[in-house]
Amino acid sequence: MSSTISLGTDEPTGTWGRVRRTASRRTEGRGIVLLTFIIIMVALLEPLALTAYEVTLGRIALIGIVALGLTAVILMGELDLSVASTLAVAGVIMASIPDLALGIVAALVAGLVVGVINAFFVAVIGINSFIATLGTLFALRGLAFVLSNEAPVSLANKDAGIAFGQPLVGPLTPRILIFILVFIAIQLFVSRVKTGREFFAVGGNRQAARDAGIPVNKRIFTGFMISGFVAALAGVINTLERTTADPTAGSTVLLASFAAAIIGGNYLKGGRGSIVGTLIGAASLGILQVALTISGVQVPIQQIYIGLILLLAVTTDPTSLRAVRGSLRTFRQSRMKTPDS
Amino acid sequence: MRRSRVTFAASVLAAAALTLAACGGSDDSSSADSGSDDTASEEVVEDDAADDAADDAADDAADDAAADAGGETYEVYALLPQGNDQPYGTTYLPPMEAKAAELGINLTITNSEYDADKQASECEVAVAAQPDGIILWPAVADSIRPCLQAANDAGIPVWITNADVNPEDADLTYGYSGTDSYGQGAASAEMFCEFADGAEIGTIQVNGLTGNSVATLRGNGFSETVAELCPNVTILAEQPGNWNKDESQLAASEMLTANQGNVQGIYAADDTMVAGAIDAAKAQGLDVDGLIITSIGNTFLGNPLVASGELDGTVFQSSSWDGENAVVGIYRAMTGDTSLGRDDDASVLYMPNPVVTIDNWDAPDVAPEW
Repeated sequence: MSSTISLGTDEPTGTWGRVRRTASRRTEGRGIVLLTFIIIMVALLEPLALTAYEVTLGRIALIGIVALGLTAVILMGELDLSVASTLAVAGVIMASIPDLALGIVAALVAGLVVGVINAFFVAVIGINSFIATLGTLFALRGLAFVLSNEAPVSLANKDAGIAFGQPLVGPLTPRILIFILVFIAIQLFVSRVKTGREFFAVGGNRQAARDAGIPVNKRIFTGFMISGFVAALAGVINTLERTTADPTAGSTVLLASFAAAIIGGNYLKGGRGSIVGTLIGAASLGILQVALTISGVQVPIQQIYIGLILLLAVTTDPTSLRAVRGSLRTFRQSRMKTPDS
Repeated sequence: MRRSRVTFAASVLAAAALTLAACGGSDDSSSADSGSDDTASEEVVEDDAADDAADDAADDAADDAAADAGGETYEVYALLPQGNDQPYGTTYLPPMEAKAAELGINLTITNSEYDADKQASECEVAVAAQPDGIILWPAVADSIRPCLQAANDAGIPVWITNADVNPEDADLTYGYSGTDSYGQGAASAEMFCEFADGAEIGTIQVNGLTGNSVATLRGNGFSETVAELCPNVTILAEQPGNWNKDESQLAASEMLTANQGNVQGIYAADDTMVAGAIDAAKAQGLDVDGLIITSIGNTFLGNPLVASGELDGTVFQSSSWDGENAVVGIYRAMTGDTSLGRDDDASVLYMPNPVVTIDNWDAPDVAPEW
């Protein structure tokens, strides 16, 4: 389908060459290194975070499920700031409908509608996705308060909610199983389905994607609908597990989701990244948070750790490192050319 | 070369993070919000005798507990919705930790930042750790039942602090200590009615964070009590100030503008917000000494306003009482002094909430704590 032209370098050959070639194409390397060290350190210092793996998996699923949907948008170089508000409003819609099944369907449809609205502003009107989804973030949060009459809305059938939170397969709860299914579905979509693979082209070079005949606007609609649907799904899961929909829900979800995607090597300008990377990012954050929680570390200190990890993830990006090297080289050269006074 | 540098940097960060985590294990973060109270389910303790009885019971329990703490240590998780980032929490934690140390309790304190899902996840961690007890300050009272059920199934006693659970969930807990948020709003309203003294008064109402149970209960306590005790007082408008001085100032300013000339009173759900509302009134050229203004807290911000006469009255809330009695409560639960289901009278300890006015603003028993 496509060919690569090498200029001035020989293509690596042999097994080691293939490994290097594969590694150079992947974006998850830094995430894997980070996850490995976190697991080793947690195993040594706070092994309960690993032995109680069902709890840690639950935390990873809590952070990761919204991040997975968000990654579909990020791959196209767009942002969706409305995911946390979508989560809240979906939960309120679900809990407001006495029939549980109907409520779930309505909540998921609401997520899709939010995705369509976001995509409409971005793809059709041409508003920057940061601004468009910032608007829906506020609008949806307000809608959640209005629909809930500014108070938590309890499920009509609380017992069903409590039953939903119980382990289903071994120690795995439905939240974890759904998270795994969502991961598999989105991973297959962006790696095996033509429509999903085109997300990378849209994010890499939008004009080139249009020239190649890719329906860019349709892909943007698809991406935002995935993000909205998955956020609504997270709202449904949270509401079922808590037996109540909270209009303030998701206050910590947005930043954690972006953090997971970035740590996993996803490039915010689009075109590079992977769903596997987001999973690794969510796992890194989840394990670290559980270990820090068990250790009783204050939230502000936890935030410092997460901030440092984010900075590390961003600054060790190959593009950033190349830019830093280039700047240093330019600086050195300018110093050498400057005559001594 | 590049890979080795990345590896090194990642390892240093991970090692540092986890090492610091281990070092910081005894620290915590927790604490309180601007309000404390329980949900609508609990009866309001209105008379001084009941307050005194609760106070005495708490003191007795603390003394007994201290006497009984014969070297045995307990592991307790305290699942709180805020930390040292909040003024109330900053003064809630030290007495809590001091009492825990006195009773031989090792505390692991978490802070969910008022995110119910995060607190639920922390609850799962706590149950997995199999501590001797859990102190729980619900981020959202309506969503806490699964956590209580899981702790109950694991045989871990749970003591509720600051904001009580819903009545239908109380049977899954061993007790509650904290304030009565509805009662605080009602007490502030009683003061307001007294100051109004039968005159036709229009007032604005600045509430706490929308959706927060404490904010809802305090707001209801004020408005319902006003409607009952002094129908001569009309609430012209109400807006959330989100427990924040600046936001309260904006909200009050808008309400004062919209009701220009008709406002003779201001109620705010805490002292931080009333300070913002007073600034808004001053900015509009109103004579605040001529307005009836009441609040809740008697904080370091509110107490000087009472002393200056700008704030006519506030309701004292003790963060140290709150933090200390949370530990006393869980100790009693762990040692069998209270049982699952709150069957005995001493399983609910209400914080005394005396009113503070110009007459007693400098009394030692209502000295501000936060």
